[in-house]
Amino acid sequence: MAGRRGRNKNEYYFDYSLLFIILFLVGFGLVMIYSASAYGASQQMDNEMYYLVHQATAAGLGIVVMLVVSRIPYHFWEHFAVLGYVVSILLILLVMTPLGYEANGARRWLDLGVSVQPAEIAKLAMILFLASLICKIGRKVRSMKGFCMILALAGLVSGLVWKVTDNLSSAIIIFGIAGLMLFVASPDYKRFVIIGIIGAAGAALIVFLIANAGDTEGMGFRSARILAWLDPESDPSDKGFQTLQALYAIGSGGIFGKGLGQSMQKLGYLPEEQNDMIFAVICEELGLFGAIAVILIFILLIWRFMVIANNAPDLFGALLVVGVMGHIAIQVILNIAVVTNTIPNTGISLPFISYGGTSVLFLLIEMGLVMSVARGIRLKDV
Amino acid sequence: MEKSKTFHRRKIVTFFFLCLVLFCGLTARVVYLMVFRSQHYTEMAEDLHQRERKIKARRGRILDRNGEVLADNRTVCTISVIHSQIQEPEEVIAVLSKELGMEEEDVRKRVEKVSSIEKIKSNVEKETGDAIRAYGLDGVKVDEDYKRYYPWSDLASKVLGFTGADNQGILALESYYESWLEGEPGLILETTDARGVRVEGEGEKRVEPVSGDDLCISLDRNIQQYATQLAEQVKKAKEADSVSILVMRPDNGEILALADVPEYDLNDPFTLPEETGAVTQEQQQELLNRMWRNACISDTYEPGSAFKIITASAALEEGVVTEGDTFQCPGYIVVEGRKIRCAKVQGHGTETFVQGTMNSCNPVFVTVGLRLGVDRYYHYFEQFGLKKKTGVDLPGEAGTIMHKKEDMGPVELATVSFGQSFQITPIQLATTVSSLINGGKRVTPHFGLKTLDQEGKVTHTFAWPVEKGIVSEDTSARMREILFQVVENGGGQNGRVEGYRVGGKTATSETLPRGTGKYISSFLGFALAEDPKVLALCIIRNPKGVYYGGQVAAPVIRQLFENILPYLEEKEYNKT
Repeated sequence: MAGRRGRNKNEYYFDYSLLFIILFLVGFGLVMIYSASAYGASQQMDNEMYYLVHQATAAGLGIVVMLVVSRIPYHFWEHFAVLGYVVSILLILLVMTPLGYEANGARRWLDLGVSVQPAEIAKLAMILFLASLICKIGRKVRSMKGFCMILALAGLVSGLVWKVTDNLSSAIIIFGIAGLMLFVASPDYKRFVIIGIIGAAGAALIVFLIANAGDTEGMGFRSARILAWLDPESDPSDKGFQTLQALYAIGSGGIFGKGLGQSMQKLGYLPEEQNDMIFAVICEELGLFGAIAVILIFILLIWRFMVIANNAPDLFGALLVVGVMGHIAIQVILNIAVVTNTIPNTGISLPFISYGGTSVLFLLIEMGLVMSVARGIRLKDV
Repeated sequence: MEKSKTFHRRKIVTFFFLCLVLFCGLTARVVYLMVFRSQHYTEMAEDLHQRERKIKARRGRILDRNGEVLADNRTVCTISVIHSQIQEPEEVIAVLSKELGMEEEDVRKRVEKVSSIEKIKSNVEKETGDAIRAYGLDGVKVDEDYKRYYPWSDLASKVLGFTGADNQGILALESYYESWLEGEPGLILETTDARGVRVEGEGEKRVEPVSGDDLCISLDRNIQQYATQLAEQVKKAKEADSVSILVMRPDNGEILALADVPEYDLNDPFTLPEETGAVTQEQQQELLNRMWRNACISDTYEPGSAFKIITASAALEEGVVTEGDTFQCPGYIVVEGRKIRCAKVQGHGTETFVQGTMNSCNPVFVTVGLRLGVDRYYHYFEQFGLKKKTGVDLPGEAGTIMHKKEDMGPVELATVSFGQSFQITPIQLATTVSSLINGGKRVTPHFGLKTLDQEGKVTHTFAWPVEKGIVSEDTSARMREILFQVVENGGGQNGRVEGYRVGGKTATSETLPRGTGKYISSFLGFALAEDPKVLALCIIRNPKGVYYGGQVAAPVIRQLFENILPYLEEKEYNKT
């Protein structure tokens, strides 16, 4: 398939399916942001286009940057791998200085003329850094020492993101990306299966302990979130509020939805309607068909990543794509799982669709990287 | 540059399929939520999005047996405010407090309260509502609904009862027939955003209210009015505490009138007649409850000599006495060493059973009662239905207070025989006597006849239980004749009505505790003696001066019968 698409004058491959999917997601995201945010924007900003304009600006810039990046051979970026890693740590630490500012109750942003979320930059930096590092240390990655070193380097950034910017979701994603790249880079399965089982058992134990704790007083907000997850209707006005409002939106969408723009829940009932919870608005307006279509698009996107990674001209390229693939996959799965109350609530956005300038810009840069890797595929190799 | 190896590809594919599995799981979850839980969440969401405004249903009217309206509805307004739509709160507060005559403080509190809809005042006169609507203030809602209105104000107040702020029946018939009268309230459902602003384009859903059915009762407004007048006259003349007059049909239990003066104004039921000095809320409520209380239903008393009708019926039925049996009355009778005195201290001398009844002679009835014995007397007491409630369609009927059978000795039996030492309600006495003189059918006293819809079509006809054979036809006929003799030639002569054959029995009982000089005078009369079509009971509580039932209460029933018997003939009530 890729071969047929790529049959143009250029003997190198350009993944048009990927480009189409990305453009579709960005376009669809803008439509949904406008639909979800217009009411809130007209109430708070007196301008119903507020969020749309901001997001469209970031997305337009992002597409240009993506196309530029896709033309630059990806090995060029290898020189910046360590620098990127260090800079991302510095940016995270900068949040603690007066340059950082707080929004929605969490201090996650930097005001550098434009507002920047260091965690988003750290994700890209981590992908680049680990791809470069794994290639450099070669077979040492298979040793326990290499394994632990990579986890420690990722864990440092991840821990900073968690503790400094109080952003557990981004920390999980960064660590997940590192884990996936490590998984792909080493031939071993056993180690990962064991870690996976221990992790799952630990999570189950924590949930079990919290669910059966008699005394709910004095628990942290994460414990409270777990209780709200188990039974959101038991506490509809407080911890379960956001989850329950999302479920109202999803459930009331039904099979065919209320129609684009017809969501009731976005009229001030559902918090974060253009942000983390935008998937609920999609469900309400476009119904089960819309929801499944969105999931299918993301599956397609990840499939394209798989194809590109498997045909990448070298390990560095493949690992770059794997990192991006992990980033998108983890974030989409976690977001949809949160919105549908499949896992406890944690703030996580839906790539390309949720509102967020830094997020969409850096996602598009990552897409540019993937396209650049795809360009390196010689048609005869496919 | 290191080339990617096969195991790299395998691992990437593994990861892809892991993602695919997770996506499938999430899709299943989404399908579950959007298909199987859709209804649940849609309902909950609609609950959240919709603001309800209730529309009161028109309450069914209450009509007398001739279709005259006794309880009606008047259009009134409910004023509410919708916080999010108010543009000029100060003006709204000023206008509402001025027009509604409310404290500005109270209005302000409600106007400034953040709620989707807040009621300011209900039952506002229509003119006031129209005036407020004319200001055209944003966020102020004037909804019309109905308020109960009683055109005859205090007529039959203790029978009709009244309704509360939400038009719900509180007392008496209004309460008993609530489910027929209330109807079903309608709803206006508006879809709103989280701040309570109506969403344009989302139409209001309106559920129309269903009017309640009209209730047609057996009361006759004319007879009720006349009975009330008579009761008020005698209450004034005898400076009595209260006077009750009950008029019913002995053949089927329909109540034609029930006056219990003092009555109260149904249009203003929460105002006590005069300054009472009641300080606390509880005292106030206690006085109101007493004012609303229907003594014929909720209060028991010692029936006194009128109860001799029951003793006589039991004795005749059992054959322990006949009309011609003779008795000796020395003015007292000794039962187990206790001297029970007759009303006539010097005694009635030798007399037949009929004469004894005419004289209301206690020794005669004590003797007859003792002839029956406790077992048989108790048996008839129960068979006549005196232990049960009558089942009248008014709430709060009191039960009979009677000796336990095992506690009854000859002395208790002797006193019960002439109507003392136990208590029944007036309605119980009237119902039992009705049943004894109507050929032995225990009827259920009642008001409710049928319900009518808006077009006047009958929607339901009430059927009231009748228990046949509590005494024989023969005993019943003999009782009628004896009671006719009581009025024609005996102690009930003041109850005689020119041109009609009236039967009846007088009664005078001293209230408990004895020796306070307080009496209850009563008279029970019925016409026509051989074919009873109407029975009336007059009870005068604590009359001053002469207190004998034959002197005080019998004339009231005579006047009543003089007026209503021709009226009933004209109305053909006495034709079945």
